Amino acid sequence: MTKKTNEPINPDKILDCLGLFCPEPIYRTRMELDKLKKGQILEVIADDPAAEGDITSLVKRLNLHLLEIRKEKEGVHILIKND
Amino acid sequence: MTDRRDEYARMSKIRGKKKILYIQTSGVDTPERLYAPFILGTTASMMGVEATIYFLIKGCTVLKKGEAEKIKIGSFPCLKDVMDQASKAGVKFFACDQSTQLLGLSRGDYISTAKVGGAATLNDLALDADAILTF
Repeated sequence: MTKKTNEPINPDKILDCLGLFCPEPIYRTRMELDKLKKGQILEVIADDPAAEGDITSLVKRLNLHLLEIRKEKEGVHILIKND
Repeated sequence: MTDRRDEYARMSKIRGKKKILYIQTSGVDTPERLYAPFILGTTASMMGVEATIYFLIKGCTVLKKGEAEKIKIGSFPCLKDVMDQASKAGVKFFACDQSTQLLGLSRGDYISTAKVGGAATLNDLALDADAILTF
């Protein structure tokens, strides 16, 4: 069976950063990423306007895989894979 | 980790244009300090250099809607015109929204050409830049 491209990604862990401001979302994301095992996925939810750019930078620096950035009403959902 | 970061910075330098980062920490209370990064940034763009201005601490007040229009010094054009020219030339603007909390100002309400950046964004820009000038 072929995998649909729009199939929702199931994260192994969800990190709620709603209501937190810079640098908290980055700090907490890094703490969680350190705990993430190879192949696992972390979903970060944040409403700080700086979070999307900041987390994108962090993921790039750590050489991890940014799977998806999805904007929803409550904030941005960022899915990161450790691979 | 450090090796990866060094490699990333090295590769981005090989791949792309030269980059200058201007950091503006002065605000609308010192208008004479506000023109230089825009003028330098526009010139850098014309020179084929990628220019970014990051507005930090009082600097973020410059990007609030309606503020640049109020500033004009001597024979210099209105700051808004200088800012728009830089933007048209391709200069990127980042506002540190957290600075508004430090200054007791309301969040957001920046000009449309400004993006909100955070601590990681500024660190990243600094690591990637070939030169950094602070105002």
